[in-house]
Amino acid sequence: MDTSQLLKGVLDLAVLAVLRKDDGYGYDVVRRLRAGGLNEVGDASVYGTLRRLYNAGMLTSYVVPSEEGPHRKYYSINETGRARLAESRETWRSFASTLDGLLEEVAA
Amino acid sequence: MNTQALGVEHYLAGMRATLDDLPPNEVAEIMEDVEAHVAELSTELGEGETLEQRLGSPEQYAQELRQAAGYPARTERLPVTTKQQWLTRPRAAAWGLVAATGVTLLAGTVALKEPAVLLLPAAILVLSLALVHDRGPLQQEIMNLPETHRLEKWLTPEQGTPAERALTYLKSLQPAWWLLRAGLLGLGAVLLASRDLLGFLAVAGIAVLSVFAGPRAKVDRRWLWFSLPASALAVGLLFQVIDVTANQLAYSTSRSSYMPPAPQSYENIYAYDENGKLLTNVLLYDQDGQPINASRNYASSCNEPGSGPEPVIPANRYPRPQIDYENGRCYTVAPSVPSPSSTPSGESAAPSSSGSATPSSVPPTSVSPSK
Repeated sequence: MDTSQLLKGVLDLAVLAVLRKDDGYGYDVVRRLRAGGLNEVGDASVYGTLRRLYNAGMLTSYVVPSEEGPHRKYYSINETGRARLAESRETWRSFASTLDGLLEEVAA
Repeated sequence: MNTQALGVEHYLAGMRATLDDLPPNEVAEIMEDVEAHVAELSTELGEGETLEQRLGSPEQYAQELRQAAGYPARTERLPVTTKQQWLTRPRAAAWGLVAATGVTLLAGTVALKEPAVLLLPAAILVLSLALVHDRGPLQQEIMNLPETHRLEKWLTPEQGTPAERALTYLKSLQPAWWLLRAGLLGLGAVLLASRDLLGFLAVAGIAVLSVFAGPRAKVDRRWLWFSLPASALAVGLLFQVIDVTANQLAYSTSRSSYMPPAPQSYENIYAYDENGKLLTNVLLYDQDGQPINASRNYASSCNEPGSGPEPVIPANRYPRPQIDYENGRCYTVAPSVPSPSSTPSGESAAPSSSGSATPSSVPPTSVSPSK
């Protein structure tokens, strides 16, 4: 199965998760997701997700000037984002265990 | 390097074209992210590798981003009208900033006399910033204007040329300029303090805020709407201070060349001893043995044709006799003694604090009437 289809539903959760500890700019977030094992995540999808989370009020942003090249816009998670992350994590866990259960039955 | 930069520009232009149906401020925010991304990726590209190979076409990239961001599907109507528009809000705002900075420079040269002129550039600044305030801190639309590109190209000469080294050096002086600017503005505020309280408060406020505006403008270009005119105002004030100082210097040197060195506003001198007794016939000399002469405002009247010549008394003998002239002749009379509690009749008390015998009137000095 194509994991990119699965990713679409949970990319919000993944992005919020990698921003949980440290702020990051777009390409930073892409790298962290890939380092975490999501190799197939598309750059543009991550940037789009960041914009959506930002517009939904779960992230704040600030600009850090750079001597060479364009300035970098960092995103950081706020309280709303943390609440959503906690909530989504519960949803994901129960969903995953439900699916695990279904898959066990299939395997058995 | 050059072809790479071209590739980046081309790629970003393609993306912008695909997103241009979205609200401009949202596009600006997206492009802020994407420009940094594409620029960073382009440095990682291998030999012969293109951005398209890494990211897909600009249209694909934009499409994927739109979907992930949850933007509505592209509408085809808008781009035609926005493309053709010449007078866009970013352009108006950029030129407004330039105009306001120029006006501030001019206004700064008269701001000490008439601080209210600063309201004109302030109004232009507020209006032009209002046009683009919602377009994000990087003001990418203004940065993408052709005139901005030309300015940027002009300000970034080729590596290693003297012009480039000079600019790099000037850039390193920027924090020092911020401090100097605050100092100049503060000086302007102090000079205004006695004349115009509102002007003082305004300029003092600008001075304080200008310290923060410099570094802030590096991160949020909207601060340029404060920082650039503040610099212009500081330069204008500097011109004005130089102008005023130069005028004062010229005035004082020209004065000293044809006027007596010590301005004498007195006409007579009365000397008293420690008991409050008026001393008469006192001869006064300075450290060079030169007689000390009070100005003689009666001389002219006594030198009029038909009147007698000046009374023959040393000019530095004090108190001088007062000279009355009537019927074309000059007479010297006893000096009347002024005092803090001067009575109009000329009968006055000496300024004595001891309260001891004070001469109420002065014995006439033996000066004969002029011939």
